[in-house]
Amino acid sequence: MLTATHFWQPFQEFVFMRRALLGGLVLACSTAPLGVFLILRRMSLIGDAVAHGILPGAALGFWFAGLSLPALTVGGLGAGLSMAGLAAWITRRTGLREDASLAAIYPISLAAGVLILGMAGKRLDLLHLLFGSALAVDGPTLTGMLWVSAASLVAMALIYRPLLLDTLDPLFLQTVSRLGPLAHGVFLTLVVLNLVIGFQAIGALMVVGLMMLPAAASRFWSRRLPMLMLVAALLGCLSVWLGLLLSFYFSLPSGPAIVLVAGASYLLSVVFGPVHGLLRRPPLLTSQ
Amino acid sequence: MIRCQGLSWGIPGHPLTPPLHMERPDGSLTAIIGANGSGKSSLLKVIAGLQKPLTGKVSLNVQRRGGLSFLPQQQHLDRQFPISLQELVAAGSWGNRQEPAARNQRLKAVLDDWALSGLEHRPLMALSGGELQRALLARLSLTEAPLLLLDEPHAALDEKGQALLWDNIQRWHREGRTLVVVCHDLAAVHQHIPHTLLINPSGCVLGRSAELIAPTPYTQVA
Repeated sequence: MLTATHFWQPFQEFVFMRRALLGGLVLACSTAPLGVFLILRRMSLIGDAVAHGILPGAALGFWFAGLSLPALTVGGLGAGLSMAGLAAWITRRTGLREDASLAAIYPISLAAGVLILGMAGKRLDLLHLLFGSALAVDGPTLTGMLWVSAASLVAMALIYRPLLLDTLDPLFLQTVSRLGPLAHGVFLTLVVLNLVIGFQAIGALMVVGLMMLPAAASRFWSRRLPMLMLVAALLGCLSVWLGLLLSFYFSLPSGPAIVLVAGASYLLSVVFGPVHGLLRRPPLLTSQ
Repeated sequence: MIRCQGLSWGIPGHPLTPPLHMERPDGSLTAIIGANGSGKSSLLKVIAGLQKPLTGKVSLNVQRRGGLSFLPQQQHLDRQFPISLQELVAAGSWGNRQEPAARNQRLKAVLDDWALSGLEHRPLMALSGGELQRALLARLSLTEAPLLLLDEPHAALDEKGQALLWDNIQRWHREGRTLVVVCHDLAAVHQHIPHTLLINPSGCVLGRSAELIAPTPYTQVA
């Protein structure tokens, strides 16, 4: 029999569950709004590419310093940022579309990462890096997640207006202000930072799911940007909570459980969402 | 004042016209006409500093930010973007240091000016092409820049909207602002805009609109 206590008892009972929940919730609060902006900027796939690109840096960090949080973070951050930067540079210099240059660079990074991991010895599991384990969140990682999430939210609030205009109409912003490139740069840094801190908790590939799925789902619930970011964060939090419970009761890996719950919330939104959901035909209030 | 010295633009190695020398004084109102693909919009972007010229340079006597305002063609905008008309228009008061109350009042007045009252809270995706165009023009009005560059401002506007547009262009002209307007509607150019720059692959011609455009009432739309 399912009772209300089932929903909070594991977190009350076990420290590792409490840490996983807290870490996941704060991460969802900062990644989901970033995902909303990624979708608006038509950069939905960049999260995926950066998540792969982080790998060689993290592997190098592991090789030189072992399994330490600062080394993995610095390595991942360096690799992720240089990958995003390299893709942007190739795009500007050659006119190749940014998604194409990212798609070209990330297999290189992924292969390099796997190679370095192989050379470093088999002590760090590749599967662990890619898919992670939320149940292995320790004290320092949790502190790191809290800081990154708080800093991301503050930074997002500070660059909100220029980022919004730079996304909607960069030409206009360019004529009234020079904050556009700055907002763009800060935004990309935040994306990489969140992916790096997230990959240690739920894995490099799973954190992308937590970033993009709630963001994609939220578009079926509102037409207003602040509301979209709020809905996305709430869906992300809900996914973390339910996913951890599933993983606890059915002994499932926690990363995939969380992302699959987020995936279910996306599919439900596609069908039942009030804004252009499948069950809302004909669409309300659209232009011809 | 706009001064173009030996200006050429287009794809590297393939300038669209021979180098352009042109000077437009403060307070002038100039149209740019020419066939599709002749480089009207690109010239406007080069003047606005949004695109690099191939050769030559453009000098403007306005400040780099906020001194000029550029009306892009509306295909630039993502119609799915989740903001309301009012939020789009309000971006025009970027950097304006007025009191919030005064700014709001000004916003209301501009919305009223462009017949947008009542549509404030409509999402972008629920606007018609003409309403969106008027919203972009309203945003431009809010910037109060001394130099205005308009790329096909009449596009998507119905008869009433066009009348509103030409009224406002005349008003900006009377206020002493410098305007450059890319326009396909030769009859309207002939009627409303004193000077015209005709862009031609063989060379650009600047002259009085009345002389450059044959004054028949049924002037063809280029």
